[in-house]
Amino acid sequence: MEVTMDPLFLAWSYFRRRKLQQCSDICTKILQDNPYDQAAWSLKTRALTEMVYIDEVEVDQEGIAEMMLDESSIAQVARPGTSLRLPGTSQGGGPTPAVRPMTQSGRPITGFVRPSTQSGRPGTMEQAIKTPRTASTARPVTSASGRFIRLGTASMLTNPEGPFINLSRLNLAKYSQKPNLSRTLFEYIFHHENDVKNVSVANLKHQKNLLALYCCFNKKLLFHHQALDLAAQATEHAQFKDWWWKVQLGKCYYRLGLYREAEKQFRSALNHQEMVDTYLYLAKVYQRLDQPITALNLFKQGLDHFPGEVTLLTGIARIHEEMNNIPSATEYYKDVLKQDNTHVEAIACIGSNHFYTDQPEIALRFYRRLLQMGVYNCQLYNNLGLCCFYAQQYDMTLSSFERAMTLVANDEEQADVWYNIGHVAVGIGDLTLAYQCFKLALAFNNDHAEAYNNLAVLELRKGRIEQSKAFLQTAASLAPHMYEPHFNLSILSEKVGDLQSSYTAAQKSEDAFPEHVDTQQVLKQLRQHFAVL
Amino acid sequence: MPEVKSIFREVLPKQGQLSMEDVPTMVLCKPKLLPLKSVTLEKLEKMQMEAQEAVKQQELTSKDQS
Repeated sequence: MEVTMDPLFLAWSYFRRRKLQQCSDICTKILQDNPYDQAAWSLKTRALTEMVYIDEVEVDQEGIAEMMLDESSIAQVARPGTSLRLPGTSQGGGPTPAVRPMTQSGRPITGFVRPSTQSGRPGTMEQAIKTPRTASTARPVTSASGRFIRLGTASMLTNPEGPFINLSRLNLAKYSQKPNLSRTLFEYIFHHENDVKNVSVANLKHQKNLLALYCCFNKKLLFHHQALDLAAQATEHAQFKDWWWKVQLGKCYYRLGLYREAEKQFRSALNHQEMVDTYLYLAKVYQRLDQPITALNLFKQGLDHFPGEVTLLTGIARIHEEMNNIPSATEYYKDVLKQDNTHVEAIACIGSNHFYTDQPEIALRFYRRLLQMGVYNCQLYNNLGLCCFYAQQYDMTLSSFERAMTLVANDEEQADVWYNIGHVAVGIGDLTLAYQCFKLALAFNNDHAEAYNNLAVLELRKGRIEQSKAFLQTAASLAPHMYEPHFNLSILSEKVGDLQSSYTAAQKSEDAFPEHVDTQQVLKQLRQHFAVL
Repeated sequence: MPEVKSIFREVLPKQGQLSMEDVPTMVLCKPKLLPLKSVTLEKLEKMQMEAQEAVKQQELTSKDQS
């Protein structure tokens, strides 16, 4: 006789081996036989949660609405060095845009992207809509309508029998009394259904009214209902003494955009129990409220309790980086590496910093280290190729780029790789190849402003002034934050005798990069010309 | 190459004024290191791709049925 394993045990084993789909299938079968099997029910919720689980500390997507209709900002124009929105010119003597490319907000590009890596706060609505996102999707209208909702609806779609738990028919009060079920249920609602509000608001009456208002204003938030309810009832059940539930309440408030309430919950949770996670969430709230200095202090407080904690150190480094203080960011990334020498983010950031401070050999060592650690993707090979070329290791350059080409995931990446190959071609003086590379970059990504600019320079060398001008104008309109197209346009216009447009272009170039000496010279010459007239 | 050297001789003026002109030249945009992606971002992108695929599949099957 064949001995079969207890199905629940098998499901549990699948869960531990992260074969989540099988686990959930078995649980479904158990639940068909006995719908009241709480163990199976709980396990299935956990499996479904794990399938779509993303680290909440990392996820931060700012929608257009939050950005443009910001109520929490204290001053319209913050003092320099106290705001993430005004990166200002580098305070710590970091690389200038002459050597390091900039993102749209005037920050140097980083060596690492996270979901929360903002390309900064665009100044105008138009820019906000145009800003490219990290994951090649457009910026959502509000953060509540972003990925969370889309992933949530998609997970429902693939379930032909409808959702596993019908949230609207759930008696949350009953579940909040059962500590062993309520936590898994919360995580399920929060991560899988993306339904924040049920998980937590209910017991605080005045806030409920506020929320109702909020919901009318923003339909999307209606989805964010249940998580909040559950969390609130559960904290009540735990007599407001359970730090875990307070953190969850804070998370819900954060997603709902009630940052001050979130702050209260996290603070209160920290009073009960010092946890690294809570510090990270709280710092996230302060970053969203645009108080980087408070966030830094908080991280340092956290480091007093948890000395050498990598995530806290990384948090500090990220803030310094976003405030355009690259040298101290690098210091903190080095501290991170002292604790954890396989930290990909720290290695990548230090590497890119070395590359842009004219030390490609050292950058190459960092990127090689990443390769040894098993990072295997298009970006890494592209960076290796560039470092090899500028460190004069020509034998490896083209093969690295070839690898990068075979590993590209989408057209934007391919465009970037071709753009960089174009630079190699410029470096070896093969201008025909460079021309073709930049053209290819444009073929893959029609909005590649840098490629337009470089192509314009090559066109001008061939003597095609009109073509060159057209490219420069395109580049300038695609990326007004770069100084190169404006500056080039200024020179070009001056050459053909159009002093007025030369002057306006030079002014734009000065706005983008005030310390640029050549721009200053051009402006000075033009002013002299005008004075003579 | 020695024969080239014999044709062109280096000329350094010993007297008179030496003038230099600094002409601004066009600038190229700089090479771009691509930022690596965090694990969370990669997972998000993967999930989004899968979700889109699933939606497409469902739409296709529903079209076939109708």
